[in-house]
Amino acid sequence: MSYTADISRNNPGCFLFLIDQSGSMGEALGGQPELRKMDGAADAVNRILDAISQRCSQGMDIRDYFDIGVITYSTDGAGRTKLETALPGTTPEEPFLSVSQVVDAAEVEEREVKESDGAGGIVEVTRKFPVWLRPTAGYGTPMCDALSAASKALKDWTAQHPDSYPPMVINVTDGAATDGNPESLAQEIMTLGTNDGNVLIYNAHLSEMSAMPVQYPSDESEVPPDEYAAQMFRMSSVFPDPVVELATGMGISVSQGSRGYVYNADMVALVQFLDIGTRAASDLR
Amino acid sequence: MVLRPPRSFWLPKAGNSPEEYEDASRVVYPQRMGTSGRRTARAAVSDGASESAFAREWANVLTEAFASRPPDMCGLTEDSLCDWLALGQEEWRVGIPWDRIPWHGEAKARAGAFATLLGLTFAAVPGGSPRLYWQALAVGDSCLFVIRDDRLWLSFPLEEAALFDNNPALICSNPDNTGDLWENVSRSEGECLAGDLFILASDALACWFLERNAEGEKPWETLIALDSSGWAAWVEEQRGAGLMGNDDTTLVIIGVN
Repeated sequence: MSYTADISRNNPGCFLFLIDQSGSMGEALGGQPELRKMDGAADAVNRILDAISQRCSQGMDIRDYFDIGVITYSTDGAGRTKLETALPGTTPEEPFLSVSQVVDAAEVEEREVKESDGAGGIVEVTRKFPVWLRPTAGYGTPMCDALSAASKALKDWTAQHPDSYPPMVINVTDGAATDGNPESLAQEIMTLGTNDGNVLIYNAHLSEMSAMPVQYPSDESEVPPDEYAAQMFRMSSVFPDPVVELATGMGISVSQGSRGYVYNADMVALVQFLDIGTRAASDLR
Repeated sequence: MVLRPPRSFWLPKAGNSPEEYEDASRVVYPQRMGTSGRRTARAAVSDGASESAFAREWANVLTEAFASRPPDMCGLTEDSLCDWLALGQEEWRVGIPWDRIPWHGEAKARAGAFATLLGLTFAAVPGGSPRLYWQALAVGDSCLFVIRDDRLWLSFPLEEAALFDNNPALICSNPDNTGDLWENVSRSEGECLAGDLFILASDALACWFLERNAEGEKPWETLIALDSSGWAAWVEEQRGAGLMGNDDTTLVIIGVN
């Protein structure tokens, strides 16, 4: 139970995204009225997948250090659960592709962005942005069904990769499950694992409330007074010691007991809390 | 005093192909030293940071540059080092197929590749003296071990296995990202004595070496007994036994007679 397994092509890591696409995700994101929660969710997934791809990039080539799955959850108008996947050729039962396949599946957009010119000025440059997930919002929030699907897929994955770094589940949601209490299912998933440790669940909580963003709290009292925040906090794994060590080394504010929970905040840094190989100093953040 | 012919060995990380090997080593070695004026031998080892893009190319550029046209080791200053580095940085830049880089590699390529560098030069004093001197420069965790009188006489720049991690000091191929390079430069020098053994090793082997030495063993005896036919099997055995990290592994040995 050490979370120190070498992440390599022989023993890849695993990210499984669960994306809430319920009707409430069409509401405005707290503090950012120009953005809807579903925009925040798509942006979070696309940015994290971009960061994973970049970490695996050698320049021209990609090394398959991770398997990745993206399961979306909502219901139809009659309340029937709709579990779908965002990566081509995958199903909720078999959601995983290797990073190189994920990279191939990206739709790459070019956007004009402002960047520092390194001399105190700002320049506008064209940068490529990969897109895997488009914002959409349906009806209900069958988070329990999504977690059950994740549990089954992860049982298979961990059986096939007993020596790998444990899978990481990233659940992006506004927290309002409509099919029961997801907490016990999350706890159940956290009992799955590999020889290197149990599955880690990280929650990116998007809310319409304009409370201060929160990143990686270590105590329930630190979460905002959102009716779902405390539960989402409890559904989030405590960072293992090696993660705390890496994050601290990167200057990110975490402590023993910090959990993989963010509230209306960025979670992209999570991708950096893993050792793949010799780091390049400027890549750390 | 004469340098024995250097011996070099390398092996990629298990699971990687030889094309994916991101260490590099170069040796420039004249046949005799100290009898015909100011001649030098040079060796360099570099370990490209696996998380940066085009690191293999950068490690090759650095070692080739050091072995073929090293910086002025006696008069080395921050400016002279940066000037020396600038040639290599430009060589790396023009070697990158910028217009063909896929989106996932663009940001990393712009940031530049990162690599360690360990460089060692030998020089005889002018005037026909048989005396021979060495100078070493290091950034990062590629290490030089000098064995003298059957003991580890120098461990440079790291002295303990506990000091190895995934965040060594590195040299960047992008001049904008060289940061506080000068603060990370270590230097050492001395006179060669007959019987000295100079061992250059990238991090996994260097860490193994220091661990074995700390256990009271004489790891150099193991290394000098290796030949090209037994090297790969020996490294794989150490990796398999958990005694050596699974990483690109590079070794250069130069003895002095």
